[in-house]
Amino acid sequence: MADVRTYALIYVVLLVLGTGKFAFFEFFTYQIALAATIALAVAKILLIAGYYQHLLEEPRSITYMMGMAVFMVFLLAVAAGYSIQ
Amino acid sequence: MSDLPPMTSVKRWLVTTNHKDVGILYLGTALFFLLLGGVMALAFRAQMWVPGGTGLLGANEFNQAVTAHGLLMVFWFLSPFAAGFANYLVPLQIGADDLAFPRMNALSYWFYLFSGILIGISFFQGGAYAGGWTMYAPLNVPTYTPAMEATTGGNSTILGLMLFVISITIGTVNFLVTIHRSRAEGLGLWNMPMFTWSWLLTVWMMLFAFAALLAALLLLASDRLFLTQYFATEQGSGLLWAHLFWFFGHPEVYIVFFPALGIMFETFQTFCGRRLVGRKWVIIAMVLVAVQSFLVWMHHMFLTTINLEIKTLMMATTIGISLPFDLMVFALIYTMVKGRVRFTTPFLFSLGALVLFILGGITGVFLGAVVLDYEFRGTYWVVAHFHYVMVSGVTALVAGLYYWWPKITGKMYSETLGKLNFAVYFIGFNLLYFPQFLAWETPRRVFHYDGGAQFYHQLSTVGAFVFGASFIIMFATFVYSFLYGPKAPDNPWEYSRTAEWAVPSPPPLENWTGRPSYASGNLEFVEDSRAATDGGVAHSEGTATEAVADHDEEHADHASIWPLGIGIGTFVFFLGLTGITPYLVQFAEARGHSVIGTSAEPNAAYLGLIAVGLVILAYTLFKFGVEQFNVPEMAIAERWPFGGVDNTKMGVWVFLASDVVVFGAAIGAFVFLRIHMGWGNWETIPFASWPGLLNTYVLLTSSFTVIMALVFAERKNKKGLLGAMGATLALALTFMAVKAYEYGYKFSIGEYWWTSLEHSVYFVTTGLHALHVILGVLIAIFMIYRIVSVDAYLEDHRPVEFFGLYWHFVDIVWVILFPLFYLM
Repeated sequence: MADVRTYALIYVVLLVLGTGKFAFFEFFTYQIALAATIALAVAKILLIAGYYQHLLEEPRSITYMMGMAVFMVFLLAVAAGYSIQ
Repeated sequence: MSDLPPMTSVKRWLVTTNHKDVGILYLGTALFFLLLGGVMALAFRAQMWVPGGTGLLGANEFNQAVTAHGLLMVFWFLSPFAAGFANYLVPLQIGADDLAFPRMNALSYWFYLFSGILIGISFFQGGAYAGGWTMYAPLNVPTYTPAMEATTGGNSTILGLMLFVISITIGTVNFLVTIHRSRAEGLGLWNMPMFTWSWLLTVWMMLFAFAALLAALLLLASDRLFLTQYFATEQGSGLLWAHLFWFFGHPEVYIVFFPALGIMFETFQTFCGRRLVGRKWVIIAMVLVAVQSFLVWMHHMFLTTINLEIKTLMMATTIGISLPFDLMVFALIYTMVKGRVRFTTPFLFSLGALVLFILGGITGVFLGAVVLDYEFRGTYWVVAHFHYVMVSGVTALVAGLYYWWPKITGKMYSETLGKLNFAVYFIGFNLLYFPQFLAWETPRRVFHYDGGAQFYHQLSTVGAFVFGASFIIMFATFVYSFLYGPKAPDNPWEYSRTAEWAVPSPPPLENWTGRPSYASGNLEFVEDSRAATDGGVAHSEGTATEAVADHDEEHADHASIWPLGIGIGTFVFFLGLTGITPYLVQFAEARGHSVIGTSAEPNAAYLGLIAVGLVILAYTLFKFGVEQFNVPEMAIAERWPFGGVDNTKMGVWVFLASDVVVFGAAIGAFVFLRIHMGWGNWETIPFASWPGLLNTYVLLTSSFTVIMALVFAERKNKKGLLGAMGATLALALTFMAVKAYEYGYKFSIGEYWWTSLEHSVYFVTTGLHALHVILGVLIAIFMIYRIVSVDAYLEDHRPVEFFGLYWHFVDIVWVILFPLFYLM
């Protein structure tokens, strides 16, 4: 378990990243904002899962299981999306 | 909780949480649904005696019977019957005392039973769902079929299936935790019995596949109950349903068949008197099939407008999945060749299953080829192939029933009657299904067919009744055995190898008199009161010895009435929900919108049922939450690869993995529909992006407060814990208030969830997230009550951590929803 300072620091970073997503669509082109938002969302998810849910401290098998679930979602969405191209 | 009443007491079966009792309940209930589905099959086979029908069933009754037959057999018989065996046998085979979460196991059963009762009731609510077990869009929504099936009963069918999936999800979590964390010392994964292996892979497939089905059903229920437009548009609705359904549906074939395969492996080993040939490779082949099962689903969509490239790819992966099955089939054949076969009833059924499966498998190859599928799709070829595969699974399950009957009941059955049963079964099966290959040009699900196929259909109908008669023989055999059969020894089979045969028939409540251990390479029962009380000795990698009390001394509870109570509450609530569509139609029409929702009239009784159901649920969930129910974790167990977390934490993570797929499928539906419409053509629904950003801040802050709650709990700081939990609750309510403002604004300008596809997707996806927030609010309120009333979580802070895991997940989902719906 991390200490309170680390949790607080991550909280601040999460707020900044959340604001970043909003700001991107105000100042950049749609494509750039889209790509940057996806990157920020991934970063936020990794921070929350890794530190707040303590996934970093759990056995790797838990991470693999969650990774498998995320893979299933991407498999379904990407393959279904591709099927109508 | 109280001690368990004797088996002769009705109360015992209402309160039991013991895995063997629950297994028997599953087996008995599944057999009831087999009979129900079977009678429907006999009815529509009789209807098909002549082209155009005999008049036994009306057109819509025929559709209802065909649909309910498919749903009942696939969902309410096949998997639950296997689950019955798994409940009874998996803990015994791995050396566990019970499943990891016995009360959840009982809850899973009650949800299963009540989901089936909902299906039964649906026939009396204007007609059950009648659009086929695949529930293809747009026939599954009222827009296109208002007179035919937009009934309250149709809603019951869909909600019944949803409740069934919830039951499956609970069971999946339970078995995954149990098999991974409760194996006897020395029992590595490689050495697990083959039935347990097959069930382990089954529940892994269930975890992801049924989550996709749950998402599909949530969207469908939303369309049927609340009039959203997911499956009612010309903008990809039909394809969306097909993708979601078959992403579940193809793994479902293996979910149904794997336990049967496991029984075949067990019985072949026992009755050939030798270890399965190529055992390790068979396990690898099963793992491969489990993985590949998620890579073939679009072969069910060759006749849709998906592109040729993906069809070709799916044809290749479909052919690929037959290869591991070839290995398994040859392993079984070679086991017979290398062994000395004893033609007992269980073996005959298993051998029959193998023969039928080979035929079913070969005829399926035709359907896997794109060009042939263009011809065969929607014909009786599919019906025959499908039944040769699925009912070969039933054949193996019957083998399992004969094989384990002496263990479960303590009585031997008559081999003569058993063999007669097999002979009639096998003849009936082939007389029923083989002529359907010859009548393949008949379109499925209709009773009008070409007169030239009449002879084959009549053969098939005769076969159906012979096949049905074989089950009467089966029931008679078991009833006779139960009443008059000789007492079964612990192990009636000479070469059985698994642990359930090392205990009395039937096994005692606590399963074992000593601790089962495979540490020496063989099954032994050890008395280790000294070893288990000295705390924390590592035996080998992945084997944990924890500082808990002696195996024999720590009391385990086996009885709780609250799972039944929650089951009743949920059932009443769901039954009430089935009747709300007319009110939604009134609501829409009062606002000047014309919607097609249902042929049913408003009935206030349904609103009453919703209220009563919620009250029962609130009371029983509360009592469930405060009940002291002791389930000791095994002191010494093999836990690879999930050592280092406790059972409950692993259970929470497994549940979250399932929820990832539920939410992912709902979000994937949005992405798919938007791609179909053209990404840039999609209308953004929220009136501004600032409410989304505001709620992002709110949820992120609540994630911080909930982690602080954990910190305070660890420090045993009650005030801090209370403050942090209170702040989390306040933030959750703030989130809901912002959401209500946002929704309210849309309503004020006359926009609702039925207004357009974009509106439906926005309201349902964010609504699903809001539903998670509401559940979190209820849990937080309960936890705050416990902190205030009994100083909870100061000694054991784990529940705060588990709640945090859930709450952070809700936050993560919002991280995705915010940009998707507000910014993009």
